[in-house]
Amino acid sequence: MPGGTNKQQRSIYAGCDLGICSAKVVITENGTILASEIVPYKSFPDRAAVAAMQGALHRVGLSGDVVVPCLATGFGDKVVRFADRTAPDITCLLRGLRALNPRVRTVIDVGGHTLRASNTTNNGELHHTAFIEDCAAATGLFIEVMAKVLEFPMEELAANSLVSENPIRITNTCVVFAESEVISFINEGHSRYDIFAGIALAVAAKISSVARRIDIFPEVAMTGGVARNVVVKREVERHLGLKFADLGGVDSQIVAAFGAALLAEESDLTGTKPGVDRR
Amino acid sequence: MIVAGCDVGALTAKAVVMENGGILGFEIIPVRPDAVLSATEVMDRLLRNLGLSYTDIDRCVSTGYGRGMVPFAQADVSEVSCHGRGAHWLMPSLRTIIDGGGQDFKVLSVDDKGLLKDFRMSGRCAAGTGRSLEIMAESLGVEISEIGPLSLRATSPATITKPCPVMAEIEIKRLVVEGVDAADIAAGITRSIAQHVMWMLYRFNVKKDIAVTGGIAKNIGVVKQLEEMLGIEFVELPADPQLIGAIGAAVFAADQLTSPRLLNPESHTGMKSRTNSRNLQ
Repeated sequence: MPGGTNKQQRSIYAGCDLGICSAKVVITENGTILASEIVPYKSFPDRAAVAAMQGALHRVGLSGDVVVPCLATGFGDKVVRFADRTAPDITCLLRGLRALNPRVRTVIDVGGHTLRASNTTNNGELHHTAFIEDCAAATGLFIEVMAKVLEFPMEELAANSLVSENPIRITNTCVVFAESEVISFINEGHSRYDIFAGIALAVAAKISSVARRIDIFPEVAMTGGVARNVVVKREVERHLGLKFADLGGVDSQIVAAFGAALLAEESDLTGTKPGVDRR
Repeated sequence: MIVAGCDVGALTAKAVVMENGGILGFEIIPVRPDAVLSATEVMDRLLRNLGLSYTDIDRCVSTGYGRGMVPFAQADVSEVSCHGRGAHWLMPSLRTIIDGGGQDFKVLSVDDKGLLKDFRMSGRCAAGTGRSLEIMAESLGVEISEIGPLSLRATSPATITKPCPVMAEIEIKRLVVEGVDAADIAAGITRSIAQHVMWMLYRFNVKKDIAVTGGIAKNIGVVKQLEEMLGIEFVELPADPQLIGAIGAAVFAADQLTSPRLLNPESHTGMKSRTNSRNLQ
C-alpha cells in the first residue's frame, strides 16, 4: 500500500496525465470521479502537475499536501514526483473509456501535439494504432496557432463557426504555411467564422484520414483537448459517417487521467501492479 | 549575339542581358500586380540602361513562377533547370546545388554541360525552410541573422527532437528555462535545419563541386553543419544568388540559338518532379 503517514479514512485515488501542453488530475472514489483539474503550462511540467494535484484536492475539500495514491501517465509521467507508479497513456485511456462507455471499441485521441487512433479487440485489448507525431497538422497546436492569428477566443470561434455556410478552403496541411494562408484570407476580408470553419474542415479531414488507417469498430469515441472543439468534432463525424459515443458528459480531456486513477485504485485492491512501481 | 533571360519570381523580377558569353547588365525589381507588367518593366529598365531596344535581342528565355506570361520571350524553361544552368555557367566545375529558400528547399544535380540531371524539392512541410529557421530563432529570442554566428560558439549543441518549427518552439523555450546556453541551443537549431537538408540528400547522387544558394547560404551555422555532415567544403558562386535563374535563362537562350536541339532542355532527363518523401503527410 502506498501512502503511510497521511492515510485517509476515505479510499480516494488520483490519476495524473501530464501531457505536452497541460497537466490533468482526476480524483476518484470507488470508481467515480470526485473532482478534476486541468492546468495548461508552457515551461515547467513538474510544477503544473503539482498545481493540478493541489487544485483537484482542494475541490474535494482536502489540503494540497495530503498524500493520495497516484498513478502518472502521459509524456511527462516521469516528472510527476507525487506519483508512486506509472502506466502507458494508451492503457490509461482505454481503461478510462471502458469505465465511461464499455461499448467503445475505437478511440480517436487528439491532443496538443499528438494525433492517434486506436481500436481494441473484443476483449478490450489494444489491437491497432495509427498515429502522427512530429507534425502539428491536425493537432490542438494547429488550431491554437490559427485562433491566435484570428485574434478571437477559441470557444467563440468554434461556437460561431458551427453555423458558417461558406467555409473557406485551406489548401496547406503544414501549420506554418496554413498560417500565412489564413492571414491572407483575413486581409481579403473574409469572415473569421468562415475561416475558422475552413480550419476545422482541414483539421477534421486530416484526423479522419489517420483514423481510416485502422479498422473503425463501432462505437467510436473522440478524446483529447481537440474533442472539446464542437465544430471539429462535428466535421470528423461527418467525414467518418458516424456519431461519437456518449461519454456521460465527462470532459474529453481528462479520460486518460481518469483511467490512471482507476488503475491506481485497482492495483491497490488486487495487489497487482498495472504499471511500473517506483518503490 | 545578344541574348536575354527574364526571371519573374513570386517576390522579385530579374532580367539579365548577355553578349558572347559575358554579362552586359542586369536589373532586379519587386514584382508588380501581374507577371506581364513585372516582366515588361524590368526588361524596359535594363534595356534603357544599356541603350538597347527589344530588336537588338536575338533571343530571350523566361523562367520563374510567371514564365508563361512574359510577352517578349521566345521560350520558357523551368526555374530548376535555369538555376542549375546558371550556377554551372558561373562555375563549370559545379555538379550539385543545394538551394534553400524561405518556403522550400531543393537540391539539384547537373551534368558537365550544365543540364539538369536530377532534383528533389521539399513540399508540404515547412521543416528545414528559412521560415522554420525564423520561427526557431524567434523562440530563442535572437535575430535570424545572429543564429549562425551564435551557433559557432557552442560547446555542446542541444538536441531539438521535433522537426516541426511550431512544435520545436516549446522544446526551445523549455531549454531556455532549463538554463541551456543560447549558443548551444542555436547550434541545435542550425543542426536541425541541416539535418533536414541531409534527409533530402539521402540516396541522392551528390557529386563535387557543391554550392549552396538561397537564404540558407547566408547562415554560416547551417552551412558549416552541412559541410561537416557531408565531409566537404562548398564552393562560392561569384554572383548575386538572386540572379542565377535569370543568368541560366539567358545562357539557355544562347544555347538555343547555336543548337536548336536544346529547345527543350528538360526532354533528355525523362524525369518527373519528386517531392521530399520524408514529409509526414
